[in-house]
Amino acid sequence: MPIDAQKIISIYSSAELPRDQKGIIGIFGIYAAYNYNEFFYKVVSNAIMQISKQEAEKIEDQLYQAVLDCAYYTFHGARTSMTWKQEVSPMIKTPEDEVEALVAFTNVFGIGYLEIVELVPGKKLVTRVANAYDPGRYLEEYGPQPKGRCYMFRACTASYMDLVYGPPFPRGMGTFKCEEIKCRSMGHPYCEFVATRK
Amino acid sequence: MEFSKYRFDKKFYPEKNLIEHEGKFVSLHCHHFNCGLLKGLEELKGIDGLSLFVKTTEEIYCQSFSEYLQRHQELETLDDKLQAAAEMYYAFGYGILDLSALNERGGFAKAKSSYYVTAWLAKYGRRHSPVCFFTCGFIAGILEAIFNRSLGSYKVEEINCLIMGSDCCEFKVEAV
Repeated sequence: MPIDAQKIISIYSSAELPRDQKGIIGIFGIYAAYNYNEFFYKVVSNAIMQISKQEAEKIEDQLYQAVLDCAYYTFHGARTSMTWKQEVSPMIKTPEDEVEALVAFTNVFGIGYLEIVELVPGKKLVTRVANAYDPGRYLEEYGPQPKGRCYMFRACTASYMDLVYGPPFPRGMGTFKCEEIKCRSMGHPYCEFVATRK
Repeated sequence: MEFSKYRFDKKFYPEKNLIEHEGKFVSLHCHHFNCGLLKGLEELKGIDGLSLFVKTTEEIYCQSFSEYLQRHQELETLDDKLQAAAEMYYAFGYGILDLSALNERGGFAKAKSSYYVTAWLAKYGRRHSPVCFFTCGFIAGILEAIFNRSLGSYKVEEINCLIMGSDCCEFKVEAV
């Protein structure tokens, strides 16, 4: 049975998010909140445009690590949940199926649609997103950028490989690294990410 | 919380993975990222990253709440507007915020729960200074929207925070 990405997206996008009595959304072992996409673009771009190149690289590394934490723990929480075991696990026959299912699961959070371009089992994953929010805004406000700005998708792409081909959770985080080789903020038609073993 | 003044209608576009709310795109992020971003800004050298975070929050929520009020003319009284703002805060997942004691001159606001307190405790543990910078920017922004004032018109300071052992988070608000 191939992975039915649309079914996964439908299940998770329609689910009611559980809140505790204090109104905090807790799901898959993480605490979640909504915010405007423009908020994240503005706060990060305003910061990196005002500081030195070294400081900018430092905060971009911190953001990559923050998203890697986010993705690694959230996706692991999802894949060990009852819904996943009931609805998604029956579709998964191989590790490559699991990568595909995790990518589909990512496509419910409102950050742009991620697709797999190439998957070399255990070695390499290439993903692509054509409608990430931030790169378009960088291009509008600051013109073509010297490097990719999509720390979020870069870390997500590494996390799929860490979870599926790295050492068992929680020891696998950081097994893979990921580079953004194309970015709309640099003038490319889409953003593309390549994860390989460190 | 029962929503009576705020409509949190979201439209999800599955083929694009975009979530639209009242004409703007929103996304859902976890505490690892939200707190990681805040910590990264707090540790920045060369600029005041926390002020940048607060000012950006103020700007974004002033604009979005202004547009919301324009679309929802049925919110006529100050109480209605403040309640709608508190419901927005809750709907986005930030906790329970009591704005009812605020007026155009400022006043005090209280939060019985706070996303950033819960999130920071889970990610980094206790800290000895307030952490609700998002709430400070949010309060300033929605007051500027309600009273049609420019950005920077309100100074919001968190004078007590749950993360430091207080019973609630408390915010002192002053018109500048």
